[in-house]
Amino acid sequence: MPLSAPLLKVSNLTKRYDSPDSHGSLTVLDNVSLEVGRGESLAIVGPSGSGKSTLLQIIGTLDHATTGEISLDGKNLKELNEIELAAVRNQQIGFVFQSHYLLPQCTVLENVLVPTLAGAKRSAREGAGTRAEQLLKRVGLGQRMDHRPGELSGGERQRAAVVRALINQPQLLLADEPTGSLDHASALQLGQLLVELNQEEGVTLIIVTHASELAQKMGRVLALKDGRLMQSP
Amino acid sequence: MTFWTLIRRSLRFHARSHLGVALGAATGSAALIGALIVGDSVRETLRMRALQRLANAYFALAPADRFFSPQLKYSGPGLSEEPQGRFLVRLPSPPFGASSTDSHYSHKTLPPYDPTAMLLMLPATAASASTSVRANHVQVFGVEGDFWTFAGLAGFPRPDTNSVVINNALAAAIGAREGDEVMFRVQRPGSMSRESAVMQREDQSIGLRLKVAGVLPSGSGADLDLKAAGAPAMNAFVDLRTLSARTGLMGRANVWLSGPIGFSANLQPKGIEKLVQYFGSLWRRLVARRVSFGAPFPLASTPEALAFLEQELQRDWTLADADFKLNIAPAPGGMELRSPRVFLEPAVVAASAQLGGTNSISILTYLANLISVGSNATPYSMITAAGPPYTPAGMRDDEIVLSDWLAEDLGAKPGDLLHLSYFLPDSGANLAEATNRFHVHSVVPLSGIYADRTLMPDFPGIEKAESTRDWDAAFPLVYKIRPKDEQYWKERKGTPKAFITLAAGQKMWANRFGNLTAIRFDPAPGTPRVQAKYWDWFKIKLLAILKPEEIGLRFEPVREQALKAAEQSQDFGQLFLGFSIFLVVAALLLMALLFQFGLEQRATEVGTLLALGFTPKQVRRLLLVEGVVLAFLGGTIGAFGGIGYAKAMLWALTTVWRNAVGTSALHFHATPGSLVIGFCASTIIAVISIWLTLRKQARRPARELLGGEVQSPLSRVHSRGGRIAAAACLAVVGIIGWAVAKGETSNAEVFFSAGALLLVAGLALAAAWLSSLQRKASSGQFTLADLGVRGCARRRKRSLATVALLASGSFVILSIGVFRLDANQNASKRSSGTGGFALIGEATMPVVQDLNSQSGREAFGLSANDLTGVGIVQLRVRDGDEASCLNLNRAQKPRLLGVRPDALAGRFTFAKLLKGSPNAPWELLRSSRGDEALNKNSAFDQSLLTSAATETDEIPAIGDANSIQWALGKKVGDTLDYTDGHGRAFKLRLVGAVANSILQGSLIIDEAEFVKRFPSESGYRMFLIDAPSNSVAQVSATLSRALQDTGLELTPAVRRLNAFNAVQNTYLGTFQVLGGLGLLLGSAGLGVVVLRNVLERRGELGVLTAIGFRRRSLQKLVLSEHGALLGLGLGIGIAAAAVAVLPALLSPGTQLPYASLALTLGAVLLNGLLWTWLATRFALRGNLLAALRNE
Repeated sequence: MPLSAPLLKVSNLTKRYDSPDSHGSLTVLDNVSLEVGRGESLAIVGPSGSGKSTLLQIIGTLDHATTGEISLDGKNLKELNEIELAAVRNQQIGFVFQSHYLLPQCTVLENVLVPTLAGAKRSAREGAGTRAEQLLKRVGLGQRMDHRPGELSGGERQRAAVVRALINQPQLLLADEPTGSLDHASALQLGQLLVELNQEEGVTLIIVTHASELAQKMGRVLALKDGRLMQSP
Repeated sequence: MTFWTLIRRSLRFHARSHLGVALGAATGSAALIGALIVGDSVRETLRMRALQRLANAYFALAPADRFFSPQLKYSGPGLSEEPQGRFLVRLPSPPFGASSTDSHYSHKTLPPYDPTAMLLMLPATAASASTSVRANHVQVFGVEGDFWTFAGLAGFPRPDTNSVVINNALAAAIGAREGDEVMFRVQRPGSMSRESAVMQREDQSIGLRLKVAGVLPSGSGADLDLKAAGAPAMNAFVDLRTLSARTGLMGRANVWLSGPIGFSANLQPKGIEKLVQYFGSLWRRLVARRVSFGAPFPLASTPEALAFLEQELQRDWTLADADFKLNIAPAPGGMELRSPRVFLEPAVVAASAQLGGTNSISILTYLANLISVGSNATPYSMITAAGPPYTPAGMRDDEIVLSDWLAEDLGAKPGDLLHLSYFLPDSGANLAEATNRFHVHSVVPLSGIYADRTLMPDFPGIEKAESTRDWDAAFPLVYKIRPKDEQYWKERKGTPKAFITLAAGQKMWANRFGNLTAIRFDPAPGTPRVQAKYWDWFKIKLLAILKPEEIGLRFEPVREQALKAAEQSQDFGQLFLGFSIFLVVAALLLMALLFQFGLEQRATEVGTLLALGFTPKQVRRLLLVEGVVLAFLGGTIGAFGGIGYAKAMLWALTTVWRNAVGTSALHFHATPGSLVIGFCASTIIAVISIWLTLRKQARRPARELLGGEVQSPLSRVHSRGGRIAAAACLAVVGIIGWAVAKGETSNAEVFFSAGALLLVAGLALAAAWLSSLQRKASSGQFTLADLGVRGCARRRKRSLATVALLASGSFVILSIGVFRLDANQNASKRSSGTGGFALIGEATMPVVQDLNSQSGREAFGLSANDLTGVGIVQLRVRDGDEASCLNLNRAQKPRLLGVRPDALAGRFTFAKLLKGSPNAPWELLRSSRGDEALNKNSAFDQSLLTSAATETDEIPAIGDANSIQWALGKKVGDTLDYTDGHGRAFKLRLVGAVANSILQGSLIIDEAEFVKRFPSESGYRMFLIDAPSNSVAQVSATLSRALQDTGLELTPAVRRLNAFNAVQNTYLGTFQVLGGLGLLLGSAGLGVVVLRNVLERRGELGVLTAIGFRRRSLQKLVLSEHGALLGLGLGIGIAAAAVAVLPALLSPGTQLPYASLALTLGAVLLNGLLWTWLATRFALRGNLLAALRNE
């Protein structure tokens, strides 16, 4: 794979929902195409219901497109089965959601290490603990590693979620409204952290956000309106 | 961080929600383990009782009708050398329970127990002199000190010549205590059958008035009973000499108990054998906690032990033990073999035939009532049937040789026609007389061989009479005895007056007891006839040829049989597992429901894991391991709960459910095996339930789960539910229509099936309704209740599961009542379980008379008017194990009844037949040859007396269906092995099963076969009595009074049947109670559903609060939703059950237990409402607006 080849290529992606009573359907994404290079950071903005999260979930293999194709690092995700898709999610993609979704029963460090358990190879888990500790220190949670999520602030939880997303050194980090539930200061702090990590880790970053301040920190900004993707004004 | 860390963290974090899951698993586990422990306890109780009733005996020789010398136990050294150099020895019995499963036995462990005991056992009745309360079916044992030491009763008082020691069962029955006087009426056995026409009738029983020297406690060797029965035997122990002297059985015993047989340790074990023995001993001492000192005796196997005992008996027995004697006989022949039983048994005859070097003369002497020629007649004369020299060679069978005394008396001369009248030997109390014609062959002088008074056998009551007036015979002397007859008797006693050929005599007088009265032996011409050496040789040879078992002297491995009966007993573990199944299912459903709710609460967690790259399978595995831990925890708690559950069940079985087991003593006993099996099974079942719950987990997209969505999309159940309901309803209509058309309106199974189908239809309709609620928009006025009911559709599957649980539970509990048995229903019908009989009676001592005949009734002082309109079916009884539901042991050799098949024609209803016409099923009992034995008007078929003719025979038998299935573990078509009175093996083939009847407990065979197989079982001991419905009580009182000395006990047939029915009814009641518990648990599950539903909707309820709803309105909303589910579930169940119980409802006189059923359903309804209300209150407490804000 040549270095110039995009990490992510979305081609003619359409997502349609059939209504329960089979009276027509709702098109959420309409023939969306997109290419994202390695190490690039991209923000997708748009009004509520425009399909931003749906696009991100389809890219993150959490949802299926009605038509169209997605290629990640040259692999056509449509051709992969559920187990292979899970492996892609585990190894190549990191997720940060609007809610942190940390497991309340585990400590921060354990939460960060949870994705390492999904890998089939035990060897892959070697060194994960050290990396987790380094990353947590990097995001300012060095003193909070043994705390439970319930003992952290919103911003801290979200930072822990970011570290969890990066633990397996993914090529692509997807963040769905990561600052949506945070106060302004925490949101700014998290946005800055994501940008820095994008650069430090060399991970491709796609953020879906309402926050223009955060969007402007990304290398590229695209807007989604009525299911169609367009250059942000 | 590992999987285990994650699982551990989850378990701890979700501990509160997991607690419910673990408790659900624990409840199921407790019910399951408890059921198994109940099984263990019943089995162990039966095992203990079996050992107790054997009084330590391992082997027993207890012939039904023979007596032997108690000295037999001392005659042998008790050692038998084996080829390997080891010796077999009789060992004293260990205390109850000890070494019961050991293969070794240690003699140093015990006080001096006797290795054998000899007893004289006789049936009796007993009455307390102070309370006058009488008990029938008492066993009186004549004992010596050996029994006291054998049975481990050394510390208890012994009877002396004037006292008796009784067991607790008898003491309780007659209310006797130490110091009281008790009157016993003991059967006095005769040397030959009471049914023989020439057997004396008087003195059939003797009375004993004895002071109670002590009452032996329950559970000691005092409960000695060699047959398995539901209740302990009523026993009395008296001094052997006193009993034998009073009953004319001096020096006789009829029960020989033996302890275990083992190998002597004269050879020290070597090498590996020594090592094995050492560790075996160590194990018993330390682990099994059985005391063991010194070198153990290896116990012999049962066949080895039996072979040893038989070998010992064969070596030591005497002619007296075989019930025959060798006399010096006048010429011809020097010796004579004869028997106090009058007739020589076929086996003895066969054995004597095998003696070489003897010239034998077979003799049959019998009583002729009247010999007449023309108008001259001579009464009561002995006639001998024998070959030369008594009758000339070549004499025809219709010719007779007369002594000159008789010829002169009759005025007869050669060629004259002579009539000879005699009682048919088998006619018993009927005294049927037959007459044969003979031609006088010749006249011989009354001297020499013709003046031999010893030709007459030892007829009891006649033999020792000084004059004919002293005859104590069964028959009245109807022919006039003249002075010359009296003079003849005084001078010549029973010297025969005439001689016929042996064939002619046997044709007339051969019977089931034998066809010879003596055999005379002439050693060899020229040999001194009375030579001691020759006599010894003869005796030894004869006793060596004759096998003890051929005349019924056979040791039985009673301990092995008893333990087998206990081991194969009704499996209460399985039974209670069945009874508890609804409880187990309800607990598991509740557990699965709680687990499911727990998972739903963790939807985002599951979504997160999926989003992080876990595969659904990995997620399920994580959750499953959590579930396994919970199931394990539940199983562990359940093991303790199971012990409590079992104790509660055992308490109930000995109190409120006592009818099911007929005992008040069940001991708690839990085996590690049951605990482990129950624990593993319950854990596995719980894990499977959890796995089934998990199957669909993590299949939903992560994004939905992350959004907290757990609701299923709309499904197409609506249309399927409707179709299923329609099909099931059609089937219900079809089944009921068929039942009405075919007149099967009382068929409980058909209507139960219809009810079950209606249940399916109801549930399918409920599914369709819930589906339609999910779709439809409100039409017309929209009320708060509407809104509540519509809420049922929010979690359609959850709602449907709740309805299904309540409907199924209420259906099962209500409809199971239709299988309750009521003996009062159609009790007077011949096809009913009573057979139409009003009374059933059992006598302790046999009645030989025909109670339907005038003479038979007169024998008991009954006049013609006393029993007007009364008909009695008399049955012969061969004692055996009680094969009814009241005996929990597996009957090994059930009691046999002999009856004429035509006497039961048209009686009872058959559940199953092997073959033949259902119109006359009792005729299936008739074997091809059976009637010959009872046919009084034809000559007895002597081939029946030979073993070759019968050894491969199978006898058809009929039993009660419940006895066959549950007590015997057999089915129609199967066979049972028996041994007849001659020691010959034969098979009973079950050809029919009578449905639910008073015949439980026994197997019935043709009376003709019965008397052939058990010739010595004289008379009848069971009676089925027809009586006019308005005089049953009077008939009962009259018969009881008249037959008091026989120990007759009469019971209304309906009461007897109800006692049997009580077992099944109690089982049903048990099922209903335990099912009710399950239903209550199910209704508690409803509360959980409510709680979960409401908690899920706190935000929604917050909205309703925000827009002005008051808390009470919200409660009403929630209650109306879940009340609808409760009502729907119970409604469907009741409707379906109503169809199932239709036969019972339509049947006149049926008493359905409306009160208890209403109580159960009411409790379920109230319980459901209570849980719903509690859950609603709990869920609606706090600030709902805050919940809204959190959303």
